[in-house]
Amino acid sequence: MRAAVLILASICVLPLIVRPAIASEIWIFAIFGLGLNLLLGYTGLLSFGQSTFFGSAAYVAGYLLKYYGIGVFAALGVGVGIGAVSALLVGYLCVQRSGLYFIMLTFALNQLFYFIAYQWTSVTGGEDGMPGIPRPALFGVDLRDPLHYYVLVSAIFLLSLWLMKRIVESPLGRILQAIRENEVRAEAVGYHAPRFKLLAFVLGGAFSGAAGVLYAMLFGIVPLESIGFVFSGNVVFATLIGGSGSLYGPIIGSFVFIWLSESMSVMWARWPLLLGVAFVIVVLFFRGGVVEAWSRVWRYSKRTA
Amino acid sequence: MLYALMGLGLSLITGVLNIPNFAHGALFAIGAYFLVSVVGVLGNFWLGLLVAPIGVAVLGLVIEYAGIRRLYAAGHDYQLLFTFGLALILNELIIVIWGPVGISHLPPALLRGGLDLGFTFYPKYRLFVMAMAGLLVVATWLFLEKTRYGAIMRAGIENKEMVSLLGIDIHRLFTVAFALGAYLAGIAGALTAPIRGLSPGMGVDMLGIAFVVVALGGLGNLLGAIAAGLLIGIAQAVVAAYWTEASTAVIFAVMALVLLVRPQGMFGIR
Repeated sequence: MRAAVLILASICVLPLIVRPAIASEIWIFAIFGLGLNLLLGYTGLLSFGQSTFFGSAAYVAGYLLKYYGIGVFAALGVGVGIGAVSALLVGYLCVQRSGLYFIMLTFALNQLFYFIAYQWTSVTGGEDGMPGIPRPALFGVDLRDPLHYYVLVSAIFLLSLWLMKRIVESPLGRILQAIRENEVRAEAVGYHAPRFKLLAFVLGGAFSGAAGVLYAMLFGIVPLESIGFVFSGNVVFATLIGGSGSLYGPIIGSFVFIWLSESMSVMWARWPLLLGVAFVIVVLFFRGGVVEAWSRVWRYSKRTA
Repeated sequence: MLYALMGLGLSLITGVLNIPNFAHGALFAIGAYFLVSVVGVLGNFWLGLLVAPIGVAVLGLVIEYAGIRRLYAAGHDYQLLFTFGLALILNELIIVIWGPVGISHLPPALLRGGLDLGFTFYPKYRLFVMAMAGLLVVATWLFLEKTRYGAIMRAGIENKEMVSLLGIDIHRLFTVAFALGAYLAGIAGALTAPIRGLSPGMGVDMLGIAFVVVALGGLGNLLGAIAAGLLIGIAQAVVAAYWTEASTAVIFAVMALVLLVRPQGMFGIR
């Protein structure tokens, strides 16, 4: 309950502090993180290829928005579908292996989709991305106004959060957590682990797809990076820093990540270097995520006071 | 053969240290750029080929000692994040130091031009690279199979606890394995430089390929790495002849196909 109030409050306050575009980006990234967290936090699968689903959905829905003039909900539906289908294809290959092989496979298949997008220039625009994605009006409301669009993004974020809460608290969510804790035992009590892992993949992919479509409409372009591996890494970072395994972790992580990257990108054109340094520092010194870092700082300030 | 070399180095690191090394591609790229710089200063390709990979190995040594060593107890997720962060740093450093534009680099005078093989005309330098890569793979194989330390390293892949129980300094083993893997990546990069030229993106492209080689060939499986490296190298060359645009995507498509038929990889260990 407290969490719900806090989230609603931050949705209301956020556009007053930062530009609506950045505020929207935060919630979109949070949806993306929710999808990954179902795999990483709840099922114990470290997928390093989430941008496959994000980017594929963004390209397909973007193409339909641009050339066929479909509506916002149709685009979102397409995105969710494409996200789920691409996750089904990738997941089918990946869930048969575990551990390091699994991570490498998700990455390698991510590269496959990346190179398709990179080379298929007549459709995707290759390195330049796919520009000119429109934001059609919804129920007569002009979504080209950034604030209006922010309201839509927030609503879809709340819907996603509610859905994800339902998923992880359902029997399915419990089975996934059982697989995370002890796969052999979950198999022994009769759950076919690969099938449930695949299901987690498809659900996670659907969330990523929705995030991808919102992202494309937010910036009016599908950049090639949106299907690249750095994007996959960023969402892993955001989820870990917020604390994986908790429903709200990716939301905190999304705040921290977007804030970090926004403030770094204005500092220096080579800001991914700083981002890399941030990754290394977090891993070496603040492995528990934001929550632990905060308690450490708090303890330190108490000691010195 | 170059793919086999990359896969082998990654396979060693991943197999012995049990970490996902996302910085492997960056080490490859650094090897190529080191070569260009050393050749630029010393004016001798052979010295560059000798020094550049050693430089990369030293870099690997530092990375393992200062960073990865602290992360063996952490999960794969944090190890991944760390090496991914490193890859970002190294990649951006390349752009800062050597610039974002691609550099082309000529092979040494001795190896320029082609060789008439009777049925076809083949660039001399490519033949040299093939021979060099083959030699390095054989040397690594000899080291792993025939020397005492190589045996320890293979044992480390199989069972780390047992190795350390036998009184072997497992941390030093890890450091050596990482440096060796970095060396192989570095020399693969240095050898590539005169063929394809250099660009900041070369590391990431190679990283994906190295992962495919390991996923198909198996961790720490030398023969597997060679077979998988050859398989995708040939597949890429064949496709490139007919449909150039798809020549990179085909590597991953081949992997997907092989895994559909044999989910456990070509040789099916673990």
